[in-house]
Amino acid sequence: MARVYTSSVINAAAKRVWERVRDFNGLPKWHPRIRDSRIEDALPPDKVGCIRHFHLQNGDVIREQLLGLSDYDLFYTYTILESPMPLTDYIATLRLTPVTDGERCFIEWSAEFNCDPSNEEELVANIGRNVFQGGFDALKRHFGG
Amino acid sequence: MVKVYKSTIMDAPVEAVWDVLRDFNGHDRWHPAVASSQIERNNPSDLVGCVRRFKLEDGSQLREQLLTLSDLEQSFSYCLLDTPVPLFNYVAHVRLAPVTDGDRTFWEWESRFDTPKGREDELREVVSENIYQAGFDAIRAHMGLQR
Repeated sequence: MARVYTSSVINAAAKRVWERVRDFNGLPKWHPRIRDSRIEDALPPDKVGCIRHFHLQNGDVIREQLLGLSDYDLFYTYTILESPMPLTDYIATLRLTPVTDGERCFIEWSAEFNCDPSNEEELVANIGRNVFQGGFDALKRHFGG
Repeated sequence: MVKVYKSTIMDAPVEAVWDVLRDFNGHDRWHPAVASSQIERNNPSDLVGCVRRFKLEDGSQLREQLLTLSDLEQSFSYCLLDTPVPLFNYVAHVRLAPVTDGDRTFWEWESRFDTPKGREDELREVVSENIYQAGFDAIRAHMGLQR
């Protein structure tokens, strides 16, 4: 099982950052790698079990299903149903935690998946850097650091 | 039931902060409220179940028991056994996590406890500010870190 763990600090209260990221259909609004997104079957994006169908800037299609969403603990968990990446059993969680010492929050984005060992290093680096850290960098730009 | 939650970011790698925090008997070296501390029965301080007996600067004595310790999760939990302050059913959790973007550390310290009716705000403030926030600031000073 391969693991990716990426974390950062955003200079805004957890509640404000959560408002920006909690929409399971909202990736194109805040993540620079995502071109467009829709929820299949016209379900609301906070209905657990819904599927988002989105395109990366390069045209790749990815379908992901929402497995868990908590407005209390500020996290959501999802799995990949379809993607061009050579991996299976992909489960990821995006989580915010308040930092009480200052107006900022701690953000963690982690994933576990199975893949051929020859692909693991590249997949871990690509997901960690381009997807997770790329998202953090965009949030940091938006919230000023 | 009163809940206290405090968290901060330390400008040091998680291994360095954990190295200081994991010693359940080490708080007299960095926490300003703790004058002296020892582990009962000569147990090692990373023996889950061990009891630390310590004195505060004002002379009062407390006993706390280590409930969990994880080098993998970089976390530990403990409870109060004896205290002159009316904190009952007090269980606290300390957890560190790496900030991979910048090699820093996220540190949270939380607890739940019961108190006599009417003293909730006062004791929440004591635990939150005099113990946890003061502890964050003391570790920064102990490790020579910037705020």
